[in-house]
Amino acid sequence: MQNIIQVKNLIKKYGKLNAVDDISFEVKKNEVFGLLGENGAGKTTTLEIIEGLRRATSGEAFILGHDIKKGINNIKEKIGVQLQSSAYYQFLTLQEILSLFGSFYQKSLKPMELLEMVDLKDKARSYVNNLSGGQKQRFSIIASLINDPEIVFLDEPTTGLDPLARRHLWNIITKIKFQGKTIILTTHYMEEAEVLCDRVAIMDRGKILTMGETHSLIEHLKEPFTISFKSKQIQEKTLSDLSKLSEVKKEPGKVDAFKMNLKTQQEVNAALKYLAEIKPEYLNVGRATLEDVFIELTGKTILEDEEKNA
Amino acid sequence: MLKLFLADLKMITRNRQALFWSLMFPLMFTVIFGLFFGRENNIAGTIILIKKSNSEMAQNFEKALDESKLFTIKKESNLEAAKKEVGKGQVSAIVEIPESFGEKNLENPVKIKLYEDPANSQVNAVLIGFVDKFFNQINFQMQNTKPLFGYEEEKTTQKKLSYFDFVLAGILGLVLMNSSIMGVGIAMSKYREDKILKRIMTTPLKTWKFVVCEVLSRLILNLLQISIILSIGVYGFSAHIYGNIFVLLGVALIGGMLFQLIGFMIAGIAKTTQAAEGMATAITIPMMFLAGVFFPIDALPKRLYSFVQYLPLAPLLRIIRSVALEAKPIWDNPNNLAIVGGWMIVMLFLSMYKFRLSEE
Repeated sequence: MQNIIQVKNLIKKYGKLNAVDDISFEVKKNEVFGLLGENGAGKTTTLEIIEGLRRATSGEAFILGHDIKKGINNIKEKIGVQLQSSAYYQFLTLQEILSLFGSFYQKSLKPMELLEMVDLKDKARSYVNNLSGGQKQRFSIIASLINDPEIVFLDEPTTGLDPLARRHLWNIITKIKFQGKTIILTTHYMEEAEVLCDRVAIMDRGKILTMGETHSLIEHLKEPFTISFKSKQIQEKTLSDLSKLSEVKKEPGKVDAFKMNLKTQQEVNAALKYLAEIKPEYLNVGRATLEDVFIELTGKTILEDEEKNA
Repeated sequence: MLKLFLADLKMITRNRQALFWSLMFPLMFTVIFGLFFGRENNIAGTIILIKKSNSEMAQNFEKALDESKLFTIKKESNLEAAKKEVGKGQVSAIVEIPESFGEKNLENPVKIKLYEDPANSQVNAVLIGFVDKFFNQINFQMQNTKPLFGYEEEKTTQKKLSYFDFVLAGILGLVLMNSSIMGVGIAMSKYREDKILKRIMTTPLKTWKFVVCEVLSRLILNLLQISIILSIGVYGFSAHIYGNIFVLLGVALIGGMLFQLIGFMIAGIAKTTQAAEGMATAITIPMMFLAGVFFPIDALPKRLYSFVQYLPLAPLLRIIRSVALEAKPIWDNPNNLAIVGGWMIVMLFLSMYKFRLSEE
């Protein structure tokens, strides 16, 4: 498939800090590409360099064949951008904002059709401040579609939303993908990336740690199987038997809850045999997730990191 | 671009609270100064007249005082009661005409007594001036002589002008300065904080188009403000505007542009909306007092004057006054135009250098 974004050796320095540290990647037409990582990993900076909002210290990026340093105006006609927590004009209605932003481009879609797409038609004459958090995000996403772009950039599109609103937004993003658009999104929700992204790049401290098709990253984990269980009466012997297969980790924030990551189906079967003896109150056998990929690569969870920052 | 201009206008008119306050402040000044100094009102203050003599001289004095229309005169018979009123601050001075005043007594003439409240020196000065002039004339008449030395009064303009006219022209400059510096400086900083500028940066819209539409829509607001203040000043408080109103509006547009450029520069420097508010206040408040909105600045100490006369508002006010009050052309004093033009160029470069839609 055709590469419509090519990023080569991109570096962005702020003083001594390398916010983006020599990263390269490609995005193919009509795929959903995710940049994953904790806050401060360099996802937004990378996106904003590609969108022409920031200047790279060095490196190059080509969007739809245009060099971002020379052809940014051509690029802007063909991309749609949803910024992280951006506000819109306070005293214009949704319809007026869309119509105004549409006037900035050579071609634009009809505001009412976009509003209909995200169930905001009845809010066409409302101000942005009168919308709920989820409605604001939905509006923010369709505002990025006003010029019928080939590539849509979504920066943390579901941050701060409740689970229901988040799932609603996932449906919208999938709809956009099926319209034939290429989507690049950043997120620190691993589950979100797993549901939405065809390919992901996991970033940490400005670097891309790994990149690939979402399912393939999980499959290629050293320990692609997981077992979670809860038991009040777990005995030392059982723990010791299980530990021979793999490390038994306590689930953070939960009492008497444990998790194991395992390499093979045989190991899963062996662990289940030991666990059958203690009759756990809860038992879940499953596939590893992107979160496990992230933990394996960085040695930390995003949750831990956010708690540190809080 | 037309769509953006119209959208900007819509936003300005829909932001009712901001619109109200941008008009309220100068309107408040117009009404306050209008009530004090408008409507051909030359009254310096209120005085009490205690008249105990009915002599011809006493009658003449009272008549002259009345006809001078310099004071609001209250009559009282009791000196102590009158003094109490002065004490309460309701009256500025007392004029007592004693019983035997006006009888010819060359040995020991009875004199009028003035009781003054030192807190009201302005009223006292007018009162003493009046009384002095009255008795000088009488004395010359009685002695049948004419004064040897004197003066002739000639106004530099034949037009009738009052202090209110001076202040009204000052308020025009004030409203241009406040609404433009505050309006642009704060609005643009808020746009930056809310990432609206950044969002616009993601579109192909050119920065200059964004700025031009902002400026034009705010200039329309300036015209509206100036028209309202002039109407209230002229029709409500009998202010005199002799110049061509369209030329005056043209001057207002020049002033509006100058102050908007200052606003853009502030938005370029300030990192937060609060900082922009602080900077805008720090620029507008001193300029309000030092550039001659309420009083002529040539009365200031020479060193201070030699500096403040070049503040952006000062030459603009000189142009507004010469156009509005003296009906002179804009270019009557090219120095003023040159200073305003110079500031505009400096501010244009500074705001172009400092003001960016993007964060880098």
